[in-house]
Amino acid sequence: MANRSTRTRVQELKRFGIFALVPLFIFTFVLVVPFFRGVFLTFTDWDGFETTSIVGFDNYFLAFQDEAFWASMGITLAYVFASLILVNLVGFGLALLVTIPLKGVNVLRTFFFVPNLIGGVILGLIWQFIFGQALPTMAEQFDLPFFQENWLVTTDTAFWALVLVTVWQMSGYMMIIYVTGLMSIEKDVLEAALVDGATGLRTLVSIKLPLMAQAFTISLFLTIRNAFMAYDVNIALNNGGPYRSTELISLHVFRDAFGFGNFATGQSKAVIMFLIIAIAALTQVIVSKRFEVQR
Amino acid sequence: MAVLRRSSSALVGIVASALVLSGCAAGSESTTTETSSGAQAVGCETPTTVTMLGTIKVEIQDQFKDAVAEYNSSNSDCVEVKIIESAADQTFLANITPLYEAGEAPVISYTLQELPDMAPRVMDWTGNPLAELAAAGTLDTATIDGKILGIPSTVEAFGLLYNKDVLDEAGVDPASIKTRDDLKAAFDAVAATGRDAIHFSGLWWSLGAHFTNIYHTTAADNRDDRMAILDELKAGTYDLSSDPAFVNWLDTFDLLKEYSSSDASIADDDYDKGVFNLADGEVGFWFMGNWAEPNLLGELPEGSFGVMPVPTSNDPAAYGNDGISVGVPGYFMIDEEQSTAEEREGAVAFLSWFLTTPEGQARWAGPVESGGMNFIPVYSGFTVAPETFMAGVISEYVNAGKSLQWVNSAYPAGLQENYGAAAQKYYDGNSNRAAFAAELEAAWVK
Repeated sequence: MANRSTRTRVQELKRFGIFALVPLFIFTFVLVVPFFRGVFLTFTDWDGFETTSIVGFDNYFLAFQDEAFWASMGITLAYVFASLILVNLVGFGLALLVTIPLKGVNVLRTFFFVPNLIGGVILGLIWQFIFGQALPTMAEQFDLPFFQENWLVTTDTAFWALVLVTVWQMSGYMMIIYVTGLMSIEKDVLEAALVDGATGLRTLVSIKLPLMAQAFTISLFLTIRNAFMAYDVNIALNNGGPYRSTELISLHVFRDAFGFGNFATGQSKAVIMFLIIAIAALTQVIVSKRFEVQR
Repeated sequence: MAVLRRSSSALVGIVASALVLSGCAAGSESTTTETSSGAQAVGCETPTTVTMLGTIKVEIQDQFKDAVAEYNSSNSDCVEVKIIESAADQTFLANITPLYEAGEAPVISYTLQELPDMAPRVMDWTGNPLAELAAAGTLDTATIDGKILGIPSTVEAFGLLYNKDVLDEAGVDPASIKTRDDLKAAFDAVAATGRDAIHFSGLWWSLGAHFTNIYHTTAADNRDDRMAILDELKAGTYDLSSDPAFVNWLDTFDLLKEYSSSDASIADDDYDKGVFNLADGEVGFWFMGNWAEPNLLGELPEGSFGVMPVPTSNDPAAYGNDGISVGVPGYFMIDEEQSTAEEREGAVAFLSWFLTTPEGQARWAGPVESGGMNFIPVYSGFTVAPETFMAGVISEYVNAGKSLQWVNSAYPAGLQENYGAAAQKYYDGNSNRAAFAAELEAAWVK
């Protein structure tokens, strides 16, 4: 009896090894080791090329005293809040739309997802053209109030332009997650609700939402993470302008290190950023898990 | 049934491995790949490989790569030069620090603002024949603590570019503009022909590096005093608002802004708008540098575009009123930390080919149409020189001793970005003179 269970344990480990060892190895050496090395570097006077002495918490003090760091944090938090709400609203709305039992509605799923595949330079070129040339020209023709000026050159409108492009890019992805959640609801529960005379809205709020809470956990987590780490969209759209006022935290850290040459301080800002995101994400997951219904 | 299953699983296997392999192949196309630039060097068993980061400037990268290929296939120094592509959207430090970390530091690197950062790890050019050939003054910025860190590529100039045809039509002669009031009159004359007088770009680098230089380079009439002002700014003890040169500069800023075309903005694509506006004759002037000349000539091949000073003072004899900012845009440095003596010799041989042989000089200073890079030569012994209208104008100013220092070459890394941000705020009218001066001073103390 004892022999059989140890052999199964060894077999379990073997199976685990075959599938998980290579990814685990890569994970350790590409993520874990550089991360700890980075944390170590924040306690030194690293200048990008070499370290010569340990300086304790000096870099962290410098990071906390930097006004631009807090300004960037502020705008990043506003951006995270705005995109969290809007991306998930739009994503969920689209998910409801594409699960209507109509013919040909599945094609819409591809269309809504495509923006997620466009990134980097192309994204920047497309939206710079839209905000800089297309919209102002249309606004002049039809006398619309909002788009007369290039949204990217004033701070407030540039912020909303960032949010707009993020919603455009991310909702397709969240839509897919919500669709999976919606599809996983058992048909008999919905039928029972229909028989009991529940309206569409009641079904949505009291039955569908609780049963797909897990999809919400995942989507909210991904939105928070993507928003905090946003970099591509920031650089592609307007480089953190105008006058560095819409510089999100990732771009700020990158500039501090590779633009100004403050490598050690930049890295400590990155560590601070990591702590903030980790706390935010963990809190969100713990709270969301409470809402999940056990089947 | 079993046969079908076997063949379909084989098919799945083939498709899966094809996808994996294509993924691997696509993955090797990173932004810092090495590209071999030519055949083996002539008559040599194992040539020394000399790596270079980047291609000097993006505008002439094809011409540079062709020149490297020509060198590789014809040189008798037993050297093969390999270009390490640098990601254009990354800063110099972002490109080079990973290479040093990996032990693959490029033998030759080219930059300007990061010279102080590279100082401890590059070769000293003092006593080298190439450094002796360089024109007077061109090595100043690259000399830190008595060590010559690099040799110059060329000189570039910036100021008020003008479209000669537009100015002829408006009856304006650039040589007669000696004061700020003369400039205003010239703007009025151009405006009277139904055009906007000037395209004043709000690009952060144009304002932050070049336009702020107009102040710094006229703030004192000798180099030591100008650099002393920078030291005082670093110490936080300099009051810009009480400097009459600064006030004059602000007045000029306001003047240019007043007459600027409504097309000009702080958006990143403003450079192209400027090219089109000046080349198409929609404006008479554009504050920019001679690097725009290939773009302008590309738009209007038969056009003549010149450059003239930015007179900030109303006293015609004031220092700098009649000079254009001329400076070296970058220096070639040779790594000493991770390279061998052969690699360093090979690097010097490569640069010598460019600067002292007829073929190399043709590539260096020859016209863009015949594969040259159109660099204004700054080494003695050059038999080739650019023949465009603007190059001639620049040579006249340089020969007459009317070239102003690029004080912006001495800006520490990151300063021009902050200068540019502050200037853009003033440009957009979101800041007043006092706040603008305060932000410029604050940029030094960060």
